[in-house]
Amino acid sequence: MMYPLLWLLSSSVKPGATVFTQPGLWPESWDLSNYSDGWGALEHPFSLYLANSLVIVVLSIVGNLLSCSLAAYGFARLRFTGRRLFFALMLGTMMLPGHVLLVPQYVVFAKLGWLNTYYPLLVPNFLATNAFYIFLMVQFMRALPVELDDAARIDGCGPFRTFWKIIMPLSLPAFATTAIFTFISVWNEFFGPLLYLTDSELYTVPLALRQFVDSEGQSAWGQMFAMSFVSLAPVIGFFIAGQKYLVKGIATTGLK
Amino acid sequence: MSVLQQTPVTAPASAPRRRYRRQDRSGYLFLLPWFLGMLFTIIPFFASLYLAFTDYNLLNPPEWIGLDNFREMLADERLMRSLRVTVIYTVVSVPLSLAAALGVAMVLQQGIRGLPVYRAIFYLPSLLGSSVAVVILWRYLFGVDGVINKGLAWLGIAGPAWTTDPSHALTTLIILHVWTFGSPMVIFLAGLRQIPAAYYEAASVDGAGPWRRFRSITLPLLSPIIFFNLVQSLIASLQTFTQGFVMSGGTGGPADSTLFYNLYLYLRGFTQFDMGYASAMAWVLFVLIAVLTAVNFLAARWWVFYDD
Amino acid sequence: MDRRAVLLAAAGLGALSACGRGFGGGGDDAPDGAVVLNMVWWGDNTRAQKTQAALDVFQRKNAGITVRTEYQDSAPYKDKLATRFAAGDPPDLMAMRMDSLREYADRGALLELTGLNMDGLGENARALAAVSDRTYGVPSGLNSIGFVVNRTLTDQFGVRIPDGDTWSWDDLGTFARAVTEASGGKVYGTGFDLFTLANLFVFTRQRGEDFFTEQGALGITAGTVQAWFELAQRMRDERGMPPAGFMDEAGASAAQSYIAAGKLASQIIPTNNFLSYNAAAGGNLALLRMPGETQGVRRGQSIDTPALWSIAAQSKHPRETLRLLDFLINDPEASQATGTTRGVPPNQQVAAAIRPGLAPDDQVATDYLIGLQGETLPRSFTYPPGGSAIASSLETIATEVEFRRQTPAEGAAAFIAEAKKALAE
Repeated sequence: MMYPLLWLLSSSVKPGATVFTQPGLWPESWDLSNYSDGWGALEHPFSLYLANSLVIVVLSIVGNLLSCSLAAYGFARLRFTGRRLFFALMLGTMMLPGHVLLVPQYVVFAKLGWLNTYYPLLVPNFLATNAFYIFLMVQFMRALPVELDDAARIDGCGPFRTFWKIIMPLSLPAFATTAIFTFISVWNEFFGPLLYLTDSELYTVPLALRQFVDSEGQSAWGQMFAMSFVSLAPVIGFFIAGQKYLVKGIATTGLK
Repeated sequence: MSVLQQTPVTAPASAPRRRYRRQDRSGYLFLLPWFLGMLFTIIPFFASLYLAFTDYNLLNPPEWIGLDNFREMLADERLMRSLRVTVIYTVVSVPLSLAAALGVAMVLQQGIRGLPVYRAIFYLPSLLGSSVAVVILWRYLFGVDGVINKGLAWLGIAGPAWTTDPSHALTTLIILHVWTFGSPMVIFLAGLRQIPAAYYEAASVDGAGPWRRFRSITLPLLSPIIFFNLVQSLIASLQTFTQGFVMSGGTGGPADSTLFYNLYLYLRGFTQFDMGYASAMAWVLFVLIAVLTAVNFLAARWWVFYDD
Repeated sequence: MDRRAVLLAAAGLGALSACGRGFGGGGDDAPDGAVVLNMVWWGDNTRAQKTQAALDVFQRKNAGITVRTEYQDSAPYKDKLATRFAAGDPPDLMAMRMDSLREYADRGALLELTGLNMDGLGENARALAAVSDRTYGVPSGLNSIGFVVNRTLTDQFGVRIPDGDTWSWDDLGTFARAVTEASGGKVYGTGFDLFTLANLFVFTRQRGEDFFTEQGALGITAGTVQAWFELAQRMRDERGMPPAGFMDEAGASAAQSYIAAGKLASQIIPTNNFLSYNAAAGGNLALLRMPGETQGVRRGQSIDTPALWSIAAQSKHPRETLRLLDFLINDPEASQATGTTRGVPPNQQVAAAIRPGLAPDDQVATDYLIGLQGETLPRSFTYPPGGSAIASSLETIATEVEFRRQTPAEGAAAFIAEAKKALAE
């Protein structure tokens, strides 16, 4: 399980292309310059790509949490006309292969004048277009005792107050899961940014990583590994920080 | 729209509706962002549905050809091969990876010191994504002279050509998929976390052993989450693309043995400039997945327990 | 709570740093009235720096024109380009794969390059991107394929390298077997993919056929495909070539190649990659011509290009883009900056002008190509639409044959049938 990380770390300190000729995990010689050189090798310092990715990730998490939890509460707890149909529609949006949507989506965003901005990457997240997270939260919210809502209603709480005061705090594990998954998927997303961002100043980490090497060139493999390792750190850090919301807490404190 | 409406996916509610008063207005308010988002989603959906009935090479305007694309699919041997690859992959890897995820989550949910680190370690393979570095890593692991074969050789076993032999390449992808069980594991962890500890305490008082507790408390209370992971994994697995693309360098090789349905769709659409055909393929897969999901929702009535 | 504060602060900082960037705030726009050209290609950062150096010269010489480039490795290039074309937002100038040229050109998506001065190009180079008598692309550089042999290994095992100008396919087999035997099976004499079209093209032409004919039909016969499969099978039986499944294409590059790892003594490479292969393999590679060039019915090698430059028919600035293209092809200063990152400059005077300044390794590949250009070689014809489906089925069938699930004869017959079907569509 640890092998990939160790391998990446070891590859990132092997000089030049020796990563392919020294197969062992322990580097025969150490070369930390991959990090300093890789940081400045591209058009902009790597910190810019990290910052860009971070902005997109943080906003996407906020957007997904807000919009998907609202929709999920609606689907899980409220009874309104057309709910079954809308729920089916929502699930349906997960089922069509994305490749056939690329061109029409591009046309839509081009018409909106959003090319070469972050809007195509962000706005959909604020509009609950990610059915996966809605469905996830629906399942979690339906597992919560329905008496909670009834009690809240008797106390005179409207649906919004019930959602905000009761369901949301209890759905913390689902929120943490959504946040972690959003972080990982947005942080690693490649094709969306590739299509919609033209200016290298706006590039995200995955775009930058794919500028280091190509099969036709004499590429800087060591630098690519070093920056790949750097870009993995935030994801692992976020998971370690977020995972405690998955396991510890009120509900299980009594468990041995 | 018509296809979507015909899809008999059941909504989560199975409880009698009359218990509730109608909450149309607040319901729609909660769904407002989603309704707006559907505008973004639905336009490309309709566009691709239309394209499925056309001859569209991406560069010239699409030409209406009716059902020709669908007729061609019936006679397309590569398509049948790709369907076979996808189904085998799904049938084998989904149950295995869900079982692994649930098993590890059961162990990792306990409040033992140092477990956060283990959780991260088990999640690590799923965190890696598919960057260039990771692709090279797989090559290193599964190459003819790779780490795995060296390990096997040390044990006196001659390892196969994991990724280049058509009889092994799909197995390798299945192993990799099962290995990256981190995402369902995280969802299981979150689900386990929601089960009130009081239930377990009561059961312990009654003298229920670990297996009893698992059967009578964990499984039923976790069933909505198991259901979610099952539905989600099936949908995702039938749409597998990246794994096949990465391992074969985008070809589905060796000898089409990792040609997933979506990879073939991609090749038709973007390499052979046949987006009309690719759209038709997409909608056939859509209907297959929709039917399968509907069956799942129907079957769920027998084994998934909700509180409402 | 502390962690939350830290997260919020990080988010705030990130948002601040991104102010104006990515949210339509601009800051990336060109000066008023200037023409902005969008140029896309594939490659790595090294190539990017060389390309940018050339573009800097161009922009200095052409005030009022700004060139914005986009590049990535080649894997995601196809889909990105196709999506942009389909959505009516193509780049002005783009690298074009040989096998995609007609997919675009036949559908009117590319500008006919009537206004481009191609006088400095050799006839073969000029004709590379000609579709009937119209030209839709110009080679960004010239290459061919060649055989590299690792001299360090052959010296170590005491195997003599055959004369690279006159060797035959049989000589290759003998050589390969000798290396494998002398190394005790640790190193294989040679290895190359049977399904790489460029390799098979050479073999086909040597037998007097064209893989694709000038009219875009299938010229190769089943007999030739079968002979190609049998050639490899014989070498595999004699252990000069590694067993089935040994070669691995995923992510292949010079640094990852088996010749760099010392597991193969020779292999076929595109000549423009000689520099990186030689560096990766320890600097002692010899560059040979393809085997069979003097024994066949006619020559098999041809002048090719790793990529063409094409201009979108929809470009809003065709004149300025043509000027940029003219600069890249015909101005020695441009090639001085880019070197041979895309192959030998197609303009012969430019190639001769930059040759003395090249690194010794680069000169090897350049001389190889200059030499070939002086000879009478068969022309290489453009891939007809459907060509990529053919490449796909060759790969499938070659693998089947490699693993002996089909005999060479069965494989050849199956391939011809599938290729004919693909072209008929």
